[in-house]
Amino acid sequence: METRSDNPPNGRAPGGDATKKLGKKMEKVGQTAETVWERTRDSVSDIGTSLDIKGRVHRNPYGTVAAAIGIGYVLGGGLFTPLTSRIVRFGVRIGLRLAVLPLLKQEMAELIETIEDEDGKSKGQGTKANVKRTRGDEP
Amino acid sequence: MEMTEKIEETAREIGARVKPQIEEARKRIESLNTSAVAYIKENPGKCLVGAVAVGYLIGKLASRRG
Repeated sequence: METRSDNPPNGRAPGGDATKKLGKKMEKVGQTAETVWERTRDSVSDIGTSLDIKGRVHRNPYGTVAAAIGIGYVLGGGLFTPLTSRIVRFGVRIGLRLAVLPLLKQEMAELIETIEDEDGKSKGQGTKANVKRTRGDEP
Repeated sequence: MEMTEKIEETAREIGARVKPQIEEARKRIESLNTSAVAYIKENPGKCLVGAVAVGYLIGKLASRRG
């Protein structure tokens, strides 16, 4: 901040100690603000590079947007609400269906196969027994 | 037999009539998807900030209702 000696502020005496001190303080404040701004910018850019936001968005745009919506939702205080519980319940139900149904199908198929095999074996044994019986009955 | 044939014929007719519309809708959805992805890739900051804002609003509304 510049002070003019030929044009004193407020009609007071020029070149006072208070004015000089004020100027120095203002300079200091300016420098501090500049360093704070630079540091903030650096830290923000560091966070950006470490999170690789652009790369993430390029790789999976919808997923990143969904994650951002989730972060906003949590920040908005929607975490411990009935809506969250409903969403979680719905997700769990769908997940269980997706995870359990194929397993159930597989189990059922195996069970049917084993039953069919056992049936076939028992039928085969039955016919053999019949044959033996008929042979034994023969004189 | 005639009944089943008739039903099959009407189903085929309906399919032939609806098929181009379904195809058009699919193309539209595909173009919308590509344009949305392109926009997100071009403006990631805007989109993410907007998404956070939308999520925040939804969270606020949910917490108020709850």
